[in-house]
Amino acid sequence: MSAAGSPNPEYVVARVRARRGSLFGDEEYRKLTRMGPAEIARFMEESTYGEEVNALGSRHGGVDLIEYALNRNLAEQFDAILDWSEGSLYDLIARYLRKFDAWNVKTVIRGVYTDAEQSAVEVDLIRAGEFGDRRIRRLLEADSIDGVIEVLEDTIYGEPLREAYAEFEETDVLVPLENAVDRAFYERLLSGLGGDEPTRQYESFLKAEVDFRNATNALRLARSGADIDPAAYFIEGGDLFTRSSLARLAQNLDELVEYIGDSQYGEELGPALRELEEADSLIAFEHAIDAALLAYGDRLGTIHPVSVTPVISYILAKERETENIRAIARGKEAGLSPDEIESELVIT
Amino acid sequence: MFEATNELGNLALQTGGTLTDPNAAAALAVGLAALGAGYAERGIGSAAVGAMAEDDDLFVNGLILTVLPETIVILALVVVFIV
Repeated sequence: MSAAGSPNPEYVVARVRARRGSLFGDEEYRKLTRMGPAEIARFMEESTYGEEVNALGSRHGGVDLIEYALNRNLAEQFDAILDWSEGSLYDLIARYLRKFDAWNVKTVIRGVYTDAEQSAVEVDLIRAGEFGDRRIRRLLEADSIDGVIEVLEDTIYGEPLREAYAEFEETDVLVPLENAVDRAFYERLLSGLGGDEPTRQYESFLKAEVDFRNATNALRLARSGADIDPAAYFIEGGDLFTRSSLARLAQNLDELVEYIGDSQYGEELGPALRELEEADSLIAFEHAIDAALLAYGDRLGTIHPVSVTPVISYILAKERETENIRAIARGKEAGLSPDEIESELVIT
Repeated sequence: MFEATNELGNLALQTGGTLTDPNAAAALAVGLAALGAGYAERGIGSAAVGAMAEDDDLFVNGLILTVLPETIVILALVVVFIV
């Protein structure tokens, strides 16, 4: 559980492959879409989520129980992966899992901002990143945003947050703080990656993710027509956009769609882009992006069988599974029909 | 370059160096084979232990696969009896 020592991909990949086999397949999803929230919870109790459902069952119920059990299971699985890995493998996996740290920081800041109960914030955290229990406890106990930043002083988020704090005080909106957290995460994600072949594959995957994130942001901005500077939301590191090209393309939806269609991702996202032009639905496009990323991850896991890539591929698939189950549970709660829910799922 | 190698070979022959002793060479062959087997078993073993940690039924398969490279050492032992 440290960056010391030599990497041990054989061990981690063997464990991860075994766990991958127990992820839900088409059959299970079809069953789940026909169940009510209580039945879904029961179904989960008999699967890999059993322990978490039992632990939380006495305090929560219904969709909340499913949601918290999913979060906790995700955290435990990813913590275990970090626990097993050593050396450079640890560094490569931790890079990606730090996104949960970023998520936790944002959740805590939002909680402080809205004066939410400490326990309400706590259940929304996903303890899968690098932050230990002690730091998370201190984060939860902080009663002002200034206090949160103080706890994070010695992490990568400390300095960017401190800089954004002045702007926050002026405008009293959370956007600058959240942007600072995201940017700190993405900057760290792609810096100083090693040079061997699997690592390069991993890097191109991370770049694809940054590109897709930029593309969705730009599309959302272009569609909403809001008067926000797109460059402020730009994430460095991708291949597809530069700060200025993104700012220009976000002004015009048609140009942006054409630009993405002509890029190296055009083939995978083509059908979704056409749908976007016809039906004007961003949801389909965002699902297509998720599916493309997942397919990319699956392919990634088979090229170099003993390297970091199968691990990342599993992390993606697992994340997707919890999101699918969450979508089913929330859809059921809102009274959607099984067909409607199935269209919300991302399955490869 | 080649002259230098020849020189070295002659020198070794003249002084009766250990490497020209067939027994020593055979011992070295077995040792190197064992080293190779050990390296192969390192990767297979850690993968096997990982798989076993997830599913106990894989114990027998894991054990068999882990000791497979050991055959290299047994084949190398043949050399010892030939020389």
